[in-house]
Amino acid sequence: MKKSYWLVAMMLVLAMFLAACGGDDSEEQGNEDEGTEEESSDESSEEGTEEESSEEGSEEASGDGEPVDGGTLIYAIDSEPSGPLDINFYRSSTEAEINQFVQEGFIEYDEEFNPIPHLAEWETEDQKTYNFTIKEGVKWHNGDELTVNDWVFAIETLAHPDYTGPRWANVQTIEGAADFREGNAEEISGLNVKSDYEIEITFDKARVNNLLNLWTNPMNQTAFEGIEVAEMEESAPSMTEIVGTGPFKVKNTSAGEYYELEKNEDYWQGEPHLDGLTVRVVANTSVIGALENGEVDMVPVHPTQGKEADALDNVSVITYPGVSYYYVGFKLGVFDKEAGEIVEDKEKYSNKKLRQALWHAIDREQWIETFFGGYGKTLNAPIPTSHWIAADNDDLKQYEYSTEKAKELLAEAGYEDTNGDGFVEDPEGNEFVLSFSHYDTGNPSFETRAQALVQQWEAVGVKSELEMVEVQNYYEMIENDDPAIEAFFGGWSVGADPDPTALWASDQLWNYPRFNNEEADQLLEDALDVEVVGDDKDKRKDVYTEWQKLVNEEAPALIIGELEEVYAVNERVGGLEYDVTGFNNAMNWFVTDGADK
Amino acid sequence: MLKYTLRRLLGMIPMLLLISIVVFSLAMFMPGDPLGGEIDPTNSDPEYIEEMREKLGYNDPIHVQYWTWVTNFVQGDFGKSTQYKVQVSELVKSRMLNTLFLGISSIVITYIFAFAMGMTAGRKAYSKLDHFIGGLNYFGLAVPNYIAGVVIIYFFSFKLGWIPFGGSHEIGLQPGTLEYWISRFHYVLAPAIVLGALSTASYTQFLRNDIIESSRKDFVRTARAKGTSESKIYNSHILRNSLIPLITFLGFDIVTIVNGAVITEAIFTYPGIGTLFLNSVNNRDYSVLMTLTMFFSLLVLIGNLVADLLYGIVDPRIRID
Repeated sequence: MKKSYWLVAMMLVLAMFLAACGGDDSEEQGNEDEGTEEESSDESSEEGTEEESSEEGSEEASGDGEPVDGGTLIYAIDSEPSGPLDINFYRSSTEAEINQFVQEGFIEYDEEFNPIPHLAEWETEDQKTYNFTIKEGVKWHNGDELTVNDWVFAIETLAHPDYTGPRWANVQTIEGAADFREGNAEEISGLNVKSDYEIEITFDKARVNNLLNLWTNPMNQTAFEGIEVAEMEESAPSMTEIVGTGPFKVKNTSAGEYYELEKNEDYWQGEPHLDGLTVRVVANTSVIGALENGEVDMVPVHPTQGKEADALDNVSVITYPGVSYYYVGFKLGVFDKEAGEIVEDKEKYSNKKLRQALWHAIDREQWIETFFGGYGKTLNAPIPTSHWIAADNDDLKQYEYSTEKAKELLAEAGYEDTNGDGFVEDPEGNEFVLSFSHYDTGNPSFETRAQALVQQWEAVGVKSELEMVEVQNYYEMIENDDPAIEAFFGGWSVGADPDPTALWASDQLWNYPRFNNEEADQLLEDALDVEVVGDDKDKRKDVYTEWQKLVNEEAPALIIGELEEVYAVNERVGGLEYDVTGFNNAMNWFVTDGADK
Repeated sequence: MLKYTLRRLLGMIPMLLLISIVVFSLAMFMPGDPLGGEIDPTNSDPEYIEEMREKLGYNDPIHVQYWTWVTNFVQGDFGKSTQYKVQVSELVKSRMLNTLFLGISSIVITYIFAFAMGMTAGRKAYSKLDHFIGGLNYFGLAVPNYIAGVVIIYFFSFKLGWIPFGGSHEIGLQPGTLEYWISRFHYVLAPAIVLGALSTASYTQFLRNDIIESSRKDFVRTARAKGTSESKIYNSHILRNSLIPLITFLGFDIVTIVNGAVITEAIFTYPGIGTLFLNSVNNRDYSVLMTLTMFFSLLVLIGNLVADLLYGIVDPRIRID
């Protein structure tokens, strides 16, 4: 009897240990640090390629000329989708890998992340009231016709007090949504349905990013008929049998294993070339073998596996710029969650020159080459270069790798080696030890890459210590400004809205370095203020450029680089086009031997 | 026997209660919570996460959380998975069949191999064949199954193309058809062998040693003296005696079926309880995690009981009252 007790205890411990070992790939989905390595926008558009992508793109020209109808494409993902697949309820990018083929929104984005009409066109005079006109005759997979009522249904669901998903933020700016949520109103006053195809949406105030923030996906009313809002998330039409208007519809699913989609013959943009598209879950360890064997046609691969996939004869690697970046942050203050502001400043890393010196001390290019297979490039401000607001790199300080420069800056800041131990002391003459934290998922390469940074800092004379923190604890500690965290490694994956306010303004919880700079806050506010910038994009960009220059100069965080999205694709796949927003509509994809199969 | 069984079953109740405390505390000791994984500027905002923490009761005092969990658990309400967003009972049910199928296949394969190898090795003790089988078994014991799994996938799936590299059946087959079941056997073969490798090795060696020992016993010598044929001696006299300790392992096998599958399933992307368990640990999906751990514990207790009962049945000398 006693034995069984210990067995259980041992098992749990063992299980945790194992989870840590195997955690790498599944962890990647959940946490933002790893999430940065995932595709974050599921919109597609039709634009060419750039840089190294172009050579791979032309390699596929064999199939590009004459699309072939028929055949099935196997698209692999490395961890199982867990929650709901429906776009109105899904949580992680894994689920988006499936619903991107089935469901589509009213608007899409061009390669600069400007919204462009898709199922709907819009007009606005004042950026407060928008008139949308949607396409007539678009059919849902279940035969219903798409009307604006499906949109209203989606918005009302998201705004319902019982709604269990995470998207209230996407509808809260609509006039009257808050009243509706609190139960004071029967309907949302900002939604004015004019006809089946026309709707007027009014926001609570004019903003430059009202449209970007708005929830622009419909929800099928028949599928969810008779289901209480609280129950919707776990109902079949949300979990597996998702209904959309997209090029593919769900045929058959085996949870956690594969998701078989078949073409939507009545797709409003024309019949897709492929007969079917199957999304299959393939463990990380098997991806390369499955690609080589032709059992998988297309798969997003981790940057570290890119080279391996590229070496295969029948596979080419496609890359396009991503919208995620990594940084080393310094805790500059303490945030009060209740008050919603930074209440205390921390002194240790408050010297700007010290931070700049540490930035110069790291060889970022080499680091990206070593730990991300070169699928990325250095970045000097926290805005991925693909966003239209990204400042011209020439306007920013470059922070090139230079130990000389780093030492110079350290000396200027008063950090000098006064006791001859080879490491600098702080201006008061006390021992200075930089404490650097990195998350630990059990992936051994994480410790190596963190160690690489530490060594480079020590090379310029800054004594540094590395602390690997269990990943589940990591962000909680950072969020709560745990004193154990001083300098830390982090990353963000950002979406279509380029505005960095949620991550860098001083009143935001997710401003992890606690960057507190009035000028910076003011610039961020101005950039969103209709009074200041109106709808003049150049003006907005100028304001954001000012902000980036400031962050670049102040260096609250050492921005390391942005990553590329890396896909491995079998040669038999054709019709792919891609840019920063992702791939083109899957209706254009085909397999060259489609007719034979 | 009935009385004994009842007594044992009753004894399980305090046991389970203790286990529940351990399971709960260990789950709570795990750093972070399921919402940590939802921090993502493209998808949610800090207020939502805080709101959900409150709603899910993560801000309640520990003893309140424990009490809620236990009372619900006893009433058969295992809670809702924070990750999968469905009732845990539904979730477990949907994965259970796959795991049972894998486990039973594994046991059958184990027994076939163990009997064949054990009897051969025992009969031809200290021969080259015996040493070969012995070597093979120690190899099987020494290689951890996550390594064996990856190697098997590499050779037999990617290099030779004999077996699929993962999944539970061929894509697109309708459940219930003959093809579907054939495909399922095909897909379960490799994980089942990997899962059973360890027990195959130990059973084989166990059986071999027992056969060698029995073959030196007096009743065997008597049988030989009477002129009974060698095959009859081995297949009937000796095997029957050597089976006794082996059968009692069946109880523990029930445990191995489910527990051992955790890693194997993950490697073969086999959608069963094991993958579910790993995922729930990674995502701090407490309700799934605790339900499964409780379930595994219950299996250990039942496995032990079955083993003890089987002892009494196969060996009348052992009496349990």
